[in-house]
Amino acid sequence: MNNRLLNAAHQLRVDNRRGLSPYITAGDGGLALTLQLLHALERAGATCCELGVPFSDPIADGPVLQLAADRALAAGTTVNGIFETVARFREEGGLLPIAMMSYWNPLGHRGWPQVCAEAKAAGVDGFIIPDLPVEEGAPIQEAAQANDLCTIFFAAPTSSDVRIQAAAKASTGFLYVVGRTGVTGAGTNFDPQAQDFLQHVRKLAGDLPIAVGFGIARPGDVAAATHHADIAIVGTALVGHIHQAFTSEEPSSEPAEAAAAAVQAAGNYVRELCTGLTFSTHTEA
Amino acid sequence: MIKQTRFGEFGGVFAPETLMASLEELEQAWRHLRADAKFQARLQNLLHTYAGRPTPLTLAERLSDEHGFELWLKREDLLHTGAHKLNNALGQCLLAKEIGKTRILAETGAGQHGVATATACAKLGLECVVYMGAVDAKRQKPNVGRMELMGARVEVVEHGQRTLKDAINEAMRAWVSDPAAHYVLGSALGPHPFPSMVAEFHEVIGKEARAQILQQANGLPDVAIACVGGGSNAIGLFRGFMQDDSVEMVGVEAGGEGMEEGKHAARFSGGKPGVLHGCYTWLLQDADGQILPTHSVSAGLDYPAVGPEHAELQKRGRARYEYATDDEALHAFAQLSEKEGILPALESSHAVAWVLQNATALRGKRLIVNLSGRGDKDLATIFSLRDAEANS
Ligand SMILES: Cc1ncc(COP(=O)(O)O)c(C=O)c1O
Repeated sequence: MNNRLLNAAHQLRVDNRRGLSPYITAGDGGLALTLQLLHALERAGATCCELGVPFSDPIADGPVLQLAADRALAAGTTVNGIFETVARFREEGGLLPIAMMSYWNPLGHRGWPQVCAEAKAAGVDGFIIPDLPVEEGAPIQEAAQANDLCTIFFAAPTSSDVRIQAAAKASTGFLYVVGRTGVTGAGTNFDPQAQDFLQHVRKLAGDLPIAVGFGIARPGDVAAATHHADIAIVGTALVGHIHQAFTSEEPSSEPAEAAAAAVQAAGNYVRELCTGLTFSTHTEA
Repeated sequence: MIKQTRFGEFGGVFAPETLMASLEELEQAWRHLRADAKFQARLQNLLHTYAGRPTPLTLAERLSDEHGFELWLKREDLLHTGAHKLNNALGQCLLAKEIGKTRILAETGAGQHGVATATACAKLGLECVVYMGAVDAKRQKPNVGRMELMGARVEVVEHGQRTLKDAINEAMRAWVSDPAAHYVLGSALGPHPFPSMVAEFHEVIGKEARAQILQQANGLPDVAIACVGGGSNAIGLFRGFMQDDSVEMVGVEAGGEGMEEGKHAARFSGGKPGVLHGCYTWLLQDADGQILPTHSVSAGLDYPAVGPEHAELQKRGRARYEYATDDEALHAFAQLSEKEGILPALESSHAVAWVLQNATALRGKRLIVNLSGRGDKDLATIFSLRDAEANS
């Protein structure tokens, strides 16, 4: 399978490097801003990115991402619009691997074979579905595989070894490790207790790279998170940064200025977080 | 890993991974305890000596005479706390206690499930937190007070439409944050095993009703009718008559102000299948898969998804699903109050409303309606509508 996300995650292992995967909510600030943000994330050195599809009822998200979804929906964001944005990003030369992160319904109600064909055509690389445990994964895996797309499942601190192994087996690209029990944005720093859990999951996942999210906001968190994980995921903190920059411009200023401020804030923040990617074979020993 | 989670194509277990261990534990405990004689005996004892089961079956004589049908009412309104919800709350709280849980989470719409859960927690010595939308907390205010008096904490939800759907969102988030708690889901929906488990705790309604109508009316009903929010009182009644092919089953959804988008909660009339709150079922959603707002004068029916077993019964043609509007339900409320001396819950009024709307076609038939709850909680709504009418 030739897939940007799969290749990028695999290459981290080959090179013995670590990576950063930023999450943004598509359409928060409008899809034109989302397009610019994708370019900014790529320039700033992200390994891949998670493009959130806003949903009316995000049961695994805390207030920051709930409000981002509300804003995106109020701005008229649709799944077709998101596909068009990704296609545009590819036309403009964007190579950043993109996993669409969506609750089941906004994508699944169309039928997975159709969604996967559309995603593939747009230049999406995979799916992360927070309300999809491995038990329900088969129809999505089948359709995704037929279109060379990754499916990424979860491991949580509450998951049994059997579940973690099943999730790793069903995943392509990487396994998403939830660093703590709770909704997104619940913690403000990386929980050091997660290290044992990450080490354990890494062993269970074998050759499959693992990514860890929840509570990552500073370069130090990135360094700690990537001690055992291949990829650190930053979501709530980045969405908060972008929104703050986007709305802190004078109300009278041009929309383009607000967008520029948001793009710059995102780029700077991701670059700063990337300084936490200090892992080397030396530190692993 | 969980297997066999569906009713035909509907149902499933669409839950965040963090909750899967709790759902596995719950399903195992439930599989074990449903066949455990000691557990069942304790539950039966609570239902008989505490909750007030069996509830009576009452012939609605004046309405029957007037319309030429034979209308029987299964009196879940007479159950302790005033609605069928206590059957499930007692069952789940007892189960939770059995597996060592000390903290209970619940959502509520009309407040009846919240009250039932607060009641069960007080009785069994469990900590209780109930999530309730701000709109519902206002329109079902007496129930907020009742929950608090029984020691529960009521968390008012200010996000989204501020009704049942948003209360479930927040309760699920709370459960994701505290998977060691038990979440007492209040209707026959959500991820497996909830739809099966909740239905089973309510089966007692249909079993009693069947025996009672055979005894009191000397025969089976022609039609069994219940209102359908998530679908727990309806599935409880229906399961009693599932094997009786001659018994037609009708579920009545909330038609609200009519079939315009956002003005009702008639999932089978205005929705299509999708995933919400853990299961694949009929949903009110827009063309982009976003969940639509709903409206109903009754908080307990004001919800965009229907329990998955009903989706399957509808597909198989075993049950059919109709709707009654706000106005029709309010009319039925008045009829039952004035002619039978029963103030029904606005939810239950929808079932009665469908009977009155179809009175001509139902002439000569024997009918059983699940009167799922009493109307005390709705008096503020009724009075303010009456005052508004008087002033207009
Ligand atoms: C009296 C009563 N009837 C019916 C319902 C609807 O729920 P269900 O469809 O699960 O019976 C409620 C919900 O709050 C209720 O309070």
